[in-house]
Amino acid sequence: MKTNRTISILFFLLMVMMPLNLYLIFKVAPTERIMGDVQRIFYLHVSLASGAFLAFTCTFVSSILFLWKKNLVWDSAASAAAETGLLFATLVLVTGSLWARPIWNVWWTWDPRLLTVLILWFIYVGYFLLRGGIADRFKKAQYSAVIGIIGYIDIPVIRYATKWWKSIHPLLSREGGGLNPVMKNVMFFSLATFLVLTVFLFLFRFRLARIEERLQKLKKLTED
Amino acid sequence: MKFMGSAIAILRKDILLELRGKESLSLMLFLSLLLLVIFNFALDTGKENVSSLAPGILWVVFTFSGILGMGRTSMAERDEDAYLSIVFSPASAESFYIGKVLSNLLFLVIMEMFTLLFFAILYDFEKIIGMLPQLLPGLLLGTLGFSLVGTLFSFLTTASRYGEVLLPFLYLPVVVPIILGGVSSMDIILNGKAGGAGKWIQIMAVFDVLYFAVSLLLFRYIIEE
Amino acid sequence: MNIIELRGVRKQYHAKTALGGIDMYVRRGECITLFGPNGAGKTTLLKIISGIMSPTEGRLLYNDKPYSESDIKKDAFYLGHRTSLYTALTVMENMDFIRRLFSLNHRRQVEDILRGHGLWERRNDPVNELSQGMKRRLALAKGFIMSPEIFILDEPFTGLDHRWRSAILAKINDIKKQGKSVLISTHLVEEGHRLADRVAFLHRGRFLFIRDREEVDTAEIYGLFDSMGELAG
Repeated sequence: MKTNRTISILFFLLMVMMPLNLYLIFKVAPTERIMGDVQRIFYLHVSLASGAFLAFTCTFVSSILFLWKKNLVWDSAASAAAETGLLFATLVLVTGSLWARPIWNVWWTWDPRLLTVLILWFIYVGYFLLRGGIADRFKKAQYSAVIGIIGYIDIPVIRYATKWWKSIHPLLSREGGGLNPVMKNVMFFSLATFLVLTVFLFLFRFRLARIEERLQKLKKLTED
Repeated sequence: MKFMGSAIAILRKDILLELRGKESLSLMLFLSLLLLVIFNFALDTGKENVSSLAPGILWVVFTFSGILGMGRTSMAERDEDAYLSIVFSPASAESFYIGKVLSNLLFLVIMEMFTLLFFAILYDFEKIIGMLPQLLPGLLLGTLGFSLVGTLFSFLTTASRYGEVLLPFLYLPVVVPIILGGVSSMDIILNGKAGGAGKWIQIMAVFDVLYFAVSLLLFRYIIEE
Repeated sequence: MNIIELRGVRKQYHAKTALGGIDMYVRRGECITLFGPNGAGKTTLLKIISGIMSPTEGRLLYNDKPYSESDIKKDAFYLGHRTSLYTALTVMENMDFIRRLFSLNHRRQVEDILRGHGLWERRNDPVNELSQGMKRRLALAKGFIMSPEIFILDEPFTGLDHRWRSAILAKINDIKKQGKSVLISTHLVEEGHRLADRVAFLHRGRFLFIRDREEVDTAEIYGLFDSMGELAG
């Protein structure tokens, strides 16, 4: 029941960190000179992206561990992390779009970073489509682990390819200059908050998956 | 060379299967032709545009015909659980994979050559045939990448309830670097754009090496139930 | 000596237990016949023993080594409900493919096997033009090119008429004489019983018994099938 306690601790931590983070973003961080208030979404956007990346890394590692150890716990971990990652990646795209509208004057732009996140998003949607298509628990775990690994190693290649591809096209402005020290600190705090949130959501989802599995087993026992 | 022996046996069997069943290659060729006709309606392919549109049209056709063909060859293995005769043989999972990569590569290259020919005829663009030697490195590296990923993924998706239908959803995002590399390198060579095709050839080569290594390790897991 | 050993093997499909705690062993050179009604878990068990399916729990040993470190698949011949044939290829092409995979150079041997299974006349016909019974025979014939250590046959007699049943029975007896192990699942009580060194009855994923042939008579097996409302052959 170590997981339960960790989840509770993280929950209380978030109860403090989340409001504080919002306070810092909206009240403490100075308004950016050129972009104005819209720039504040940036603290969330970057933090969400880091969270997504952490989650997908966790899927990658858990997938390898599953293929190695053949223990379904690792599959539950991999899919819980992928779910968290997919949620965050979706929010990254949404917040990015909201920010790009006033700043770049477009909802979407084929920026290499955006493109990488979008393609990642597709890969992990595919991951869940595949899981939905396989009934056997073990086979599902085995096959999706393959996607969890293949999808992840694609990230750097996609990143480079999209960057080079972009370089032939006119490059849109990079996001506004350097951050001042206060902005930097707010950013660090926001990052920390969202990394805790990632771990929390992951553990929460992971525990739920374990409970579901135990329930299945119990159901079975009562039937026998 | 027992390792390559099994891979060659699989390649040989797939060629035979294609000659007998005509299930994969002929469908690919039909789809290529059809897509080229559709593109003609969808885009303004006048004399002055053809050259700049060619890379995009061709690689989209290669991609989609490829998905169709690789899905079919994997279905042929799943049919009647035919692939089990390879599983229960001295052939290793690795040589199984390599054999399938080779046969998919062969069919894809044939499809691409025909597509180029159709393109030259339908779009009155003979230049592309003349430039084939320069285009070939990019074409082959890209196609190898298609085959490396497609062989793994088509075998994986055909085991699911959705069958081949699922293949594009997993395959397309992963091969984005290949499509980018293929289109860009062809564009540079064909239209003399700046930038040099070299780095695109490079990224496709890196992709191929990476996916060859990883798929070789992972293929054994998808021939288990 | 035990060639295969299973300890506490369980298999769980989504919400259904296909196998619940199977312990068994297979001795080198013995034949075990699995009886049981449809859905008892025979196919699942044979798939797990052959190594193409992983159990949810439990340990599997081949020659005292865990499956993950052994090459059971290289030493086994598995014939499932499906024939594992390339239906667009001809009989001969299918056999040739297997021969090449096993890097065997004796075409003669393939020809003899085809004759022995009554397939020689049809050697140049595509498999999808063969009758169901012939397909089964061809599928089994493949096993004889491979000369594996262990034959795993899931309902090998389905679709075969009486004459071919006896022919296949004789073949399986030959295999046994060569010291190979055989695992068979079947509904044919007489044939299965005659072949077996040991007889097992599987019901709802568990063994009702697994005993030496002498200790089980066919009447008992018929009785069990009857009580489960299933027709035995």
